[in-house]
Amino acid sequence: MITAEISPPKGTDTSRMVRDATLLKDMADAVNVTDNQRAVMRMSPLAACSILQEKGFETIMHITCRDRNRLALQSDLIGAWALGIRNVLVMSGDHPSKGDHEGAKPVYDLDSVQLLGMIQKLNQGIDHSGKKLEGRTDFCPGAVTNTELGEAGLLKLRKKITMGASFLQTQAVFDVTRFSEFIEKTDEIRSKQSKQIKIIAGVIPIISERSALFLNKVPGIRVPDDMIKQIKDAKNPEIEGMKITADIIKELRTMCDGVHIMPIGNHENTGKLLEMAGLI
Amino acid sequence: MIISRQKEFDDILQMLSEKNIFIIGCGKCAKKQHVGGEPEVIEMKRKLGAAGKNITGWTVLSSACSINSWNDILSQNPDIKMSDALLVLSCGGGVSVISGFAGLQVYPALDTESLGGVCCNEVVTEQCAICGDCTIWLYGGICPVIQCAKSLLNGPCGGAFEGKCEVDERLCAWDKIFERLKNLGKLENIENIHEPKDHIRKARVKKT
Repeated sequence: MITAEISPPKGTDTSRMVRDATLLKDMADAVNVTDNQRAVMRMSPLAACSILQEKGFETIMHITCRDRNRLALQSDLIGAWALGIRNVLVMSGDHPSKGDHEGAKPVYDLDSVQLLGMIQKLNQGIDHSGKKLEGRTDFCPGAVTNTELGEAGLLKLRKKITMGASFLQTQAVFDVTRFSEFIEKTDEIRSKQSKQIKIIAGVIPIISERSALFLNKVPGIRVPDDMIKQIKDAKNPEIEGMKITADIIKELRTMCDGVHIMPIGNHENTGKLLEMAGLI
Repeated sequence: MIISRQKEFDDILQMLSEKNIFIIGCGKCAKKQHVGGEPEVIEMKRKLGAAGKNITGWTVLSSACSINSWNDILSQNPDIKMSDALLVLSCGGGVSVISGFAGLQVYPALDTESLGGVCCNEVVTEQCAICGDCTIWLYGGICPVIQCAKSLLNGPCGGAFEGKCEVDERLCAWDKIFERLKNLGKLENIENIHEPKDHIRKARVKKT
């Protein structure tokens, strides 16, 4: 399975977003639409997903706990279902202090585990307070995870799986050995809970030393120093970044169920990257 | 203990449009944190005087948030009657209680931050979120509602790096909770899924 990240526009003009998604036509199984990522304000993923669905794309709508309380989360989810959105990806969301509206009130009325529980209820036709819905949802819910987890992080991951996550999308993978250790740990949880859960590994093709250093400021992402040096020393850092990523994808293929491409900028090079990785 | 910090002096000056000011300090939390006891009140008097304000007088109440008789305070501090406004060096609780009695403009000199405490002479901040629904025992006495930047009840987010919270340099509250419970042999406390907080239990909305 191949999924790819699409950012809604910062403004009302959706042409760049649609153009970017069009580059993925017939390549990605689904486009993955972010929810004010890095706490930077953009168009709602609900509206963006709806626009992309209309153009024939299968979408995965990100939904964070940062900006909405339990009422708003539910109304957006019900609305998303009514508009044809079938997949959601649940996460806490980067803290507002990391974004472009630093003084915004952080909501976090629910956490991602509780939000997954809420989606289970909506799928059963009842709301968070137990009231019957006029028409239920039937979302395929996913959760996110880091691949380098401590004991507390593993506890949270177990809870996400318990609460019905059907797929796990990982934070960007740069270290394949670490990733295989992560897979071992999740296999343990999966067999204990006898749950079927797909794992989609995230990858970010690095385009320059600068972009690598920027990524290292994003919560949860860590680009190894030797990789930064390799990019820095390369004649063409962009091509070098794609080569590295293609090699990572080749190794990941045998370990998980899919890859998720998160480019810096647009999807201009995604087709070429997937070719290099032997996926298309 | 209520944790407060002094506002920037320029901000205080900008707030105070009146000329004749009486200053009130607080002998409890603000004194302990050296933001509203006698030395700070005297320093405030000096700075406001230098900035052209007429300081009619000052006092440090034993506790700004707990007043038995405003009349007693007035008789001990008759200069209050000669003042256009009061500047109170206490938490918001004290400023609010005094505002209820004073019948004149009352200004806060402090910003109230959190509910904390003192531990071996060290002030500890953000110990309680005043949520009205205390479940701190489940987390080994470390409240995730206030100590986790995202108030997460079921485990950490993915933002921490090398044990530090994504928001600032503080240690990830969930690492601390996990460690504490491990030492107490009580990890089972957090194995189950914890439901969202019931915000109706806050003081404002009493359940009948």
